[in-house]
Amino acid sequence: MLRALTRWYSRALTWLLTASVAILIFPVSLQIFSRYTALIPSYIWTEEMARFFFIWSILLGAMVGIREGTHFVVDLWPALNSRAQAAIRVVASLFVLVFAFVFLWWGIDFTRFAFNRISELAELPLWYIHLPWPIAGVTWILFLGEQMWDDLRVVAGKARPPPLTGPEDEIRGSIT
Amino acid sequence: MTGATVLDPGTASIIMFGVFFALLVLRVPVAFALGLACVPIFVIEDRLTPQNLVQETFNAYNSFILLAVPFFLLTANLMNVGGITTRLVRLSRDLVGHFPGGLAQVNVVLSIFFAGISGSSTADAASQSKIFIEAQRKEGYDDSFSVAITAVSAVLAVIIPPSILMIVWGGLLTVSIGGLFLAGIIPGLLIGFAQMATVHVYAKLRNYPTYPRATFFETVKAIAVSVPALMTPIIIIGGKIFGWFTATESACIAVLYAAALTMLVYREMDLKGLHHALLETGRLTGVALFCVGTASAFGWLLAYYQIPKALLENVAAWGMGPIAAGFFIAGVFLVVGCFLDAIPAIVIVGTVLEPLAKSVGMDPIHFAIIGIVSLAFGLVTPPYGLCLMISAHIANMRVVDTLKDVMIMLIPMFLVLALIIIFPQIPLFLPRLFPPGTL
Repeated sequence: MLRALTRWYSRALTWLLTASVAILIFPVSLQIFSRYTALIPSYIWTEEMARFFFIWSILLGAMVGIREGTHFVVDLWPALNSRAQAAIRVVASLFVLVFAFVFLWWGIDFTRFAFNRISELAELPLWYIHLPWPIAGVTWILFLGEQMWDDLRVVAGKARPPPLTGPEDEIRGSIT
Repeated sequence: MTGATVLDPGTASIIMFGVFFALLVLRVPVAFALGLACVPIFVIEDRLTPQNLVQETFNAYNSFILLAVPFFLLTANLMNVGGITTRLVRLSRDLVGHFPGGLAQVNVVLSIFFAGISGSSTADAASQSKIFIEAQRKEGYDDSFSVAITAVSAVLAVIIPPSILMIVWGGLLTVSIGGLFLAGIIPGLLIGFAQMATVHVYAKLRNYPTYPRATFFETVKAIAVSVPALMTPIIIIGGKIFGWFTATESACIAVLYAAALTMLVYREMDLKGLHHALLETGRLTGVALFCVGTASAFGWLLAYYQIPKALLENVAAWGMGPIAAGFFIAGVFLVVGCFLDAIPAIVIVGTVLEPLAKSVGMDPIHFAIIGIVSLAFGLVTPPYGLCLMISAHIANMRVVDTLKDVMIMLIPMFLVLALIIIFPQIPLFLPRLFPPGTL
């Protein structure tokens, strides 16, 4: 039941992420075409709109990255058996969980703080782009909870470890 | 400001770096380790609250310049899905296939072409390892040589423009991105030629095979087919340099161009491929740029306590000249690049070393190129050489078994780096052709 929910939720996030990357192209294209052609007036809100969707893309990507385990990790440990690996993952997840609470708690303040403010150019409510911080916090807590539950079962010897991933999968978090 | 803080700079830096490294060892993702290292400071310090942490990450993402990063990634993804790579392989083979070690030469030349289109070395390493390692194995090349040459040639992608590292560097340290793009061209080509020379020597010593020379007609045909793809770097770099577009806008033009090319001209892109390219771009953008936010908060705290100044006070007392300082900067980036991903390394180490570069009168573009080339070499040095790890993984080899060849290939590359440090004209020649203020 809960698993169906997280699966459905992460699929929805993935779709939102794809859509926001696609949308990013429009305001920037508009900005260029309006400067060099007389077909459309030059809107002043294009840059702001692009930045709004950019912020959402980054945080949506960071949320999906926790579920897919693609955030960049430095591995200094020798090869360990799968139970020891699961144990280390639980410890690391605990720390990420602390960070998720920071984003949730102070992200709510951050969003509330912006309730009555509007953006300079497009006059959009500013809390629209402060909102991804608390949402990221909640989402990470949800996904981490699921993963920690699975890992704890592996540590306790009650479940089989997930199939091993190669370094290619682990290092997708880097673009350089 | 320093007089009124609860923590002195020494204690603050011990807490921050201590927590950061401890968390790295525990396998906490780098982006989160950087953020968590700031949390105790924000809690302890009277004038700061963790809301400043949230605000600093927000400020880092609220940037029109960084928006160029997803666009460059999307361009590369569209071109990979859309069949550009196969056409460029054909062209490279017709150009250099008849040199000793033909296939390995093609490997290097394709990396140079790819570098002009994409700004991501890991993408290059992944796609070229799949193309070349198996093919080189069949032609009798040694496995460790194949892995090593594929990995070291992939680093060209971040040195030859467009480069994601240059965008991040230019955006965070306010250096002209057009200037950085121009400055990367000659060093990148020199490193590429150094690699081709290395392949030549290997091929002579080990009798690696070569292809028959392509006819003039074949070469012309391969060039004609590839011209639309090879126009991409010209659009990106030209549009930026001549002031038609900002960096972000030229990246957006590149996306539109790549989309039109793969859908209308080469006709190898369908809706499924498009969706895949968009999603991959979103995933990479998210995890890579999220790290810029937490690294910025970390850097902001370092500046708050004026820690860079404290660190550099000792260094300044050594009385280094520009060349010694250049080697020192390269050394720091090389060491850091072995352990850290390049983007957080730029955010943290770049800002720390900037005053040193300024104090010895180094040109900001020269400083940036030294840093970026050194970090690029870090992509093939263990323990965290990403390109080498990807290539070795695809070849089903252990990284350790490829290290000897990697180190041999790095020697001529280090010589080029030394030349870049000693002769600032190498990177600065092209940017200086443009009058000051136009870049």
